[in-house]
Amino acid sequence: MNKYIDKFLLHGLALTLSLLSVFAIFKFHDYMDNYEIGILVGATILFSWLGKTWLNFGRFFIASLILSFISIYIYQGNLMQAENNFFLKYFLSSQSAIMWMSALFPLSLIIYWISLFSKQTFYENLASALVWIAALMGLLGLLVRWFESYLISIDIGHIPISNLYEVFVLFCLITSLMYLYYEQKMNTKKMGPFVLIIISAAVAFLLWYTFNKGADEIQPLVPALQSYWMKIHVPANFIGYGAFAIAAMISVAYLLVDNGILKKQLPNLTVLDDMTYKVVSIGFIFFTIATILGAVWAAEAWGGYWSWDPKETWALIVWLNYAAWLHLRLIKGLRGTMLAWWAIIGLVITTFAFLGVNLFLSGLHSYGEL
Amino acid sequence: MAKSTKNFKSFIHLLSTMRFAITMFSFVAIASIIGTVLKQNEPYESYLIKLGQFWFEIFEILGLYNVYQAFWFLLILIFLIISTSLCVYRNTPKIISDYRKFQDKVQEKSLLSFKHSYKLTYKNFDNSRLEEILLKNKFRFKKKILRNGDELYSAKRGEFQKLGYIFTHLAIIVISIGGLFDGNLVFKVQESLGLKNIIIDDIPLKEIDSSSRLSESNFSYRAQMLLAEGEKQEVAVLRAKEGYLIQELPFSIALKDFRIKHYSTGQPKSFESDLLVEDKKTGKVIAETISVNKPLTVNGITIYQSDFQDGGSKLGLRVWDLHSNQSFVPMASEIFKTNKLVYDDQNFNVEFNDFRKFNILEIEDGKKKKLKNVGPNFIYKIRNESGQAVEYQTYQFPMIVGGTSFFMSGMRSTPQDEFRYIKIPADANRELTGFLKFRSLITSPKQVSESIDKVIKETSSNKAIDINLFKTSISKVINSFLEGGYSQIANLIDQDITVSKQEEIANSYIKIIFLVSKEIIKNYKVENKDDDSFILDDSSSFIQDSLNAYSDSFFYGIPMFFELKDYQHIQASGLQLTKSPGQVWVYIGSIMLVLGIFCMIYIQDVRLWIIKYKKTKKIVFAMTTNRQHYDFDKFALETRDKIKSIIN
Repeated sequence: MNKYIDKFLLHGLALTLSLLSVFAIFKFHDYMDNYEIGILVGATILFSWLGKTWLNFGRFFIASLILSFISIYIYQGNLMQAENNFFLKYFLSSQSAIMWMSALFPLSLIIYWISLFSKQTFYENLASALVWIAALMGLLGLLVRWFESYLISIDIGHIPISNLYEVFVLFCLITSLMYLYYEQKMNTKKMGPFVLIIISAAVAFLLWYTFNKGADEIQPLVPALQSYWMKIHVPANFIGYGAFAIAAMISVAYLLVDNGILKKQLPNLTVLDDMTYKVVSIGFIFFTIATILGAVWAAEAWGGYWSWDPKETWALIVWLNYAAWLHLRLIKGLRGTMLAWWAIIGLVITTFAFLGVNLFLSGLHSYGEL
Repeated sequence: MAKSTKNFKSFIHLLSTMRFAITMFSFVAIASIIGTVLKQNEPYESYLIKLGQFWFEIFEILGLYNVYQAFWFLLILIFLIISTSLCVYRNTPKIISDYRKFQDKVQEKSLLSFKHSYKLTYKNFDNSRLEEILLKNKFRFKKKILRNGDELYSAKRGEFQKLGYIFTHLAIIVISIGGLFDGNLVFKVQESLGLKNIIIDDIPLKEIDSSSRLSESNFSYRAQMLLAEGEKQEVAVLRAKEGYLIQELPFSIALKDFRIKHYSTGQPKSFESDLLVEDKKTGKVIAETISVNKPLTVNGITIYQSDFQDGGSKLGLRVWDLHSNQSFVPMASEIFKTNKLVYDDQNFNVEFNDFRKFNILEIEDGKKKKLKNVGPNFIYKIRNESGQAVEYQTYQFPMIVGGTSFFMSGMRSTPQDEFRYIKIPADANRELTGFLKFRSLITSPKQVSESIDKVIKETSSNKAIDINLFKTSISKVINSFLEGGYSQIANLIDQDITVSKQEEIANSYIKIIFLVSKEIIKNYKVENKDDDSFILDDSSSFIQDSLNAYSDSFFYGIPMFFELKDYQHIQASGLQLTKSPGQVWVYIGSIMLVLGIFCMIYIQDVRLWIIKYKKTKKIVFAMTTNRQHYDFDKFALETRDKIKSIIN
């Protein structure tokens, strides 16, 4: 059975996504400009490729598509269904999917920590599976939210990565997927207890933000955000943020092992060090691309590719920080404790750039305000 | 002489070290942080208020109000460019020769010092099969015959990693130079030479001379232009420090129309300007609509929609004296104009500052709060002869507060304060008329006197009290209220009543005022049966709200209420004009940067050597990389095993 599924994934995902895209382009081309059609084609290729090279992602992606189509089908074009229909109310509406995600990430954190002290692989497999399901609910939540925004009104509809609430879900999603990739690639589930801390912290913020500020309500886009650039700039940025977060958490593990704590349970220093480097590298590339794309967008929306807006400036500081980190490692051959500390401090700087700027400084990026 | 060249050389060397570059980058980072913490390009007065005279001057000398254009900041950037250039200059030749050359002068001894070096023995050694393996693994190689017919293979792969180094560093130079192009370096030099002067005061355009104008040939700028609907302008304004300069343009821009489109929820959906751009030389006119994210480029100058404000809307107003029973005084005005007003024999200036057609506020909607458009408002200041001003913000239509509709008008004495609102209840037709009638009735002595009589009759029918005395005291209460609202009543009580009874008396006074007011309205309704402004059922709080509003009007500055009857909305569009020749270089640099980082991180520079000894049938195999990654060990062992497999 699995064999057939895998065979399907190899070619079927690409085929399905292509057919869906062609359908979307024919049916909805009046609502898209050429750039957006380009992005759709690009995304089709990207996700087909990802699904093919990383089979688990392929399964995950297909599951999220199926669930979101079921959700869309149940909605029947009526937003009120979210209150009336049992499945929507408890599972498939964006809000409940995101709540499921918010419950499952902390749960998997607990199980990861249990697995650290257990000899059975059952617990770590369970925790890992829960992360997959949580990520699935997160992606489902975003996809369905995208659809729901169009149900409010055609002109309000937009991709749900436009405010702090939505990007926090995106952060949890991207960080967990990146983690799952490395979990598989490095063949160790021992990083989970640490990476899931940062994801759970993000979930805690998300919940506070939802219940105290009613942030989950879908808001229309301000004119400055109405651009195809948002679809590229924001996800690229969050791959960067997610990677830097993972790097910092692995560095925490590194420092613990270095001081003889949890030495038996955790992987050895070489593996931890190497993984930190890999994650910082991928984060750095995406962060660079995101910042450049942000500059290109700024040139189109604000009249200059660089305005020394607080967000831009802090992006530069984050970039300089990790550039220096990589320099010292690659050119000077530095590694170990110091770089581990540095990666942790790097996350503090990154968090300030991501959240602190919105909290304490005002500027052109003010749509992310609390 | 010799010494100075030596000093110069060591200075150059210092500049090209990585330590120097990193120090410079740290300075950039710190300066950038200062720039984000201290709000940039604010009016100088606000810095003065915030920082005080002493620190204001120090910060000004350091250029902290505009860090990113400060002289020292640009100097750091220039040093960075020089430092990075020197670094590239020093290292490039070596990298290029490395790229070309194979390291074929190696000794067995040095090879054996590598982590991955192995001694193997062979039975049959097929050179072509080895070469096949090397090619398959993307190695380039060179074969060299040593003495005694021994053979040395020196191979390598991933040399692009080092080209990544050149790419990234060149990229930083290109981006920085592009950025400097678009900085205001030329103007800074002109200013420091005294060739250009910044204008600080508002002076008419014609009187501004060429020393404060930048010519069309200025190759890089970001200038602003504010255009009212129907207006046409030929120059733009360039903000600089605490003042501005005039930027000449090769074209004129006229604004035909400015539109704000809204979502069904009321939030703005788009800002659009219909422009006519006319070339000054050729007279060619381009008609184009621009909006946020959709700029227009003409002659290398890009025109952006950046903001908007009022462009001098025309207002038709009625001015009501809240404390008299007189009718309104009509007033016609425009935003940015000043009107005269006389109250109580004193002269006032009314300065109209802003008009907003849409106001999206959080309004109660059942139990929830919802964003809603509450309609137009206007902002004005009433200034007395001694120059003191009170600022007002008045809404045209009533809005719902606590379940009741009120006309809202806020006032404040200083810009730091929040507006404090007077809430005038809307009548049964959601109009202001009801309250204005009420204030006419309550301020008319005849109406008040008649109503007091009726109230006395109803409340004291079977009690033996001195009716005249009762009437005098009620009249005193009512008159105090009319003279100064509830606070006047409080004064009255403070003077005449002992503390223990004050609360009780206060309540009864409030009740009396209410009853008399209610009686006045009742009378009015009997005489004017057609008027449906008032509803007097039990649920109506109109009278109490009106009394509150009347009482609050004593804290409203002069009690003149400006009712907005009609308006003609004229908007102004804020445009930004950008000429940015450095942009293309910044983009080219950015592409190089990304390519460079990819090369540096994802290409592994690997060297491999094999020495084949003919006599001893031995092989020395060594492999190394300039960066020890975890993966490399695996790759080295795999390659060794492949070679092993062909020699047995």
